Amino acid sequence: MERAVIHLNIADFAVAVEANLAPTLKGRPLIIAPEGAPRAVVYDMSDEAYKEGVRKGMPLSRAKRLNQKIPILAPSFNRYEQAMKALLKETFAFTPLIEYGQADGHIFMDVTASKRLFGPSVDMAFRLKKIFKKAFNLDPIWSVATSKLVAKVATRLVKPLGEYIVAPGDEEAFLGPLPLSLIPGLEKPELKRLKEFNLFFVSEARTLTLEQLKIPFLQKAPLIYDRIRGIDPAPVRAFSETASTLSADHEFSDDTNTAGSLRSALYLMIEQICRVLRTRNLHGAGTKLILSYSDGVQNTSTSRLSPSTSNDMAMFKASALLLDKAWTRRVRIRHMRLICEKLCPPMVQTELFTPETRETKQACLIEAMDKIRKRFGKHAIRAGLTLTENRIGS
Amino acid sequence: MADSTACRLYIGTSGYSYGEWIDSGFYPDGTHSSNMLDCYIKTFHTTELNYTWYQMPKAPAMERMCEKVPAHFKFAAKLTRTLTHEVKKNLWQKEVLAFRQGMEPLIRAKKLLCILIQLPPYFERSVDFRNYLAALLDELSGLHLAVEFRHDSWVNDKVFSELQRRKITLVNVDEPDLPGLFPRLCVVTNPDLFYVRFHGRNAKGWRSGSMQKQFDYDYRDEELKIWAARIENELMPEAATGGIFFNNHVRGQAPKNALRLIDLLLRKGNKKTPWNEPSSI
Repeated sequence: MERAVIHLNIADFAVAVEANLAPTLKGRPLIIAPEGAPRAVVYDMSDEAYKEGVRKGMPLSRAKRLNQKIPILAPSFNRYEQAMKALLKETFAFTPLIEYGQADGHIFMDVTASKRLFGPSVDMAFRLKKIFKKAFNLDPIWSVATSKLVAKVATRLVKPLGEYIVAPGDEEAFLGPLPLSLIPGLEKPELKRLKEFNLFFVSEARTLTLEQLKIPFLQKAPLIYDRIRGIDPAPVRAFSETASTLSADHEFSDDTNTAGSLRSALYLMIEQICRVLRTRNLHGAGTKLILSYSDGVQNTSTSRLSPSTSNDMAMFKASALLLDKAWTRRVRIRHMRLICEKLCPPMVQTELFTPETRETKQACLIEAMDKIRKRFGKHAIRAGLTLTENRIGS
Repeated sequence: MADSTACRLYIGTSGYSYGEWIDSGFYPDGTHSSNMLDCYIKTFHTTELNYTWYQMPKAPAMERMCEKVPAHFKFAAKLTRTLTHEVKKNLWQKEVLAFRQGMEPLIRAKKLLCILIQLPPYFERSVDFRNYLAALLDELSGLHLAVEFRHDSWVNDKVFSELQRRKITLVNVDEPDLPGLFPRLCVVTNPDLFYVRFHGRNAKGWRSGSMQKQFDYDYRDEELKIWAARIENELMPEAATGGIFFNNHVRGQAPKNALRLIDLLLRKGNKKTPWNEPSSI
């Protein structure tokens, strides 16, 4: 049975969230970027600013040169995270198969199995659009197709507002007249090569056989061959809000590049995540750390936790290395996000006579701290590391 | 016109692409959505296009659809929601133009039964709404139109005679007996076409907000027999063509009830038309 994939995309998500808080910003050019930071880049911009030539990732100094009158707003990553979480909560009512970006307003939903309960996929998409608009005053573009690829192209076509339904079986005909640059997965080098062959549109590129494509594109040829035919078997990544990942955020009141502050903030986030893990009797087997610098650049670093753990200190040991890996610039850091992935049940079989080790002592200490916090509140006891700087609050 | 045999009937369902119709046996096991229309046309000669309500129709897609169906097949296309439910004051005329362009392939191929203007429940007979409807009908002139009201304030002889004057079809609906809803009537306002929509009588689920509950209803034989008699005696003698559509799509009840109505109108009595065999009237 072919799939039914919905793509919801709130265009210029950060701008939309900010405009909700300050309605006067609506319908006007706006740039979201950390203005005071050296070498700052544009994090997001309104459609009006886009029309003036401003692009995401563009150096702010260049964007300013295009039009000095465009107001600039500092990014508030936490706010976008919260808005995204609220949207996801609504989508989970329809299906657990949801894939989404990092606070960017993009949501893919596989609703193949939800039709019996909620009706046609088109109706589900439309209902979600209405819910987003009514509850959050956010107006998403939506599309319905049989794959993520086609659904994404469809929303690109109607940006910044609208909808697109690509009927099953219509994928090839739908993509045929479109420029190749609209096809996700075709990067700049491939597009350049195709242009050299005077191929600009999908229908033109389709005239090449797989063998012919292999000559310039080697291993990437099968992918290109499939993409221009609308073939995309990639699943919407299954996600369970309660079981798959846990995350914590820390936004610094003043941007910082002090190691102590960063480590303190990291430990606080780990405490927060591990507490939830222990409550749910789960372990985390992987961590991901996202550092957002004051100029809008983000660095991500991931690592495996072996063995999996819910122990604050063990997780901190691994995550501190992660911090060193992700922290590669001298620019100050504004926001940190720690994601604990691959949640799994702890190993049930334990030793009958456990020798007293450093780890068991740590586990006892954490258990004792949990008890104290449960009885007297979470601020009743703190790890010394979190007291490094007074401004780090819990 | 007083002869019911002169009237050509098109009986079908509101939409045809429902995965659950495989479970209910209407479509063979393993039928892909892309093949559902191919299967559907073996049984019915008409369908309502629902997706044109959600999205402005696009001519290339309509063209492809026309190619998939035989010459005698007809589509009734719902008017886009931006012209019925989410009307923007200064933009709607442009939307009409876009809608007309999207419908062009169906019109050219003579496969358009009519445009179905389904109005929202809050669309009462107020001065503003009356003015808008009149302007909309003017803007859509030249197309075969059918208007479905969801509010009982439109049950008025003046409304019916105005529709008659404009040769616009009033949609007769079968829906639950709930306060405020348009009642079950048998009125023909256009000698070219009468139109009936069966939404089911699920009063409990009607305002649930879920289509799966709202349109979950299986018509009893007695209910269909009453309708068969009304169609034959009151509607068919008054119009040259009739469009009858079942919207109770949940669990394949729509095609089942549509086929039963065809049987009753063909006077087959208790002999039921087996599914997946061509039926026409």
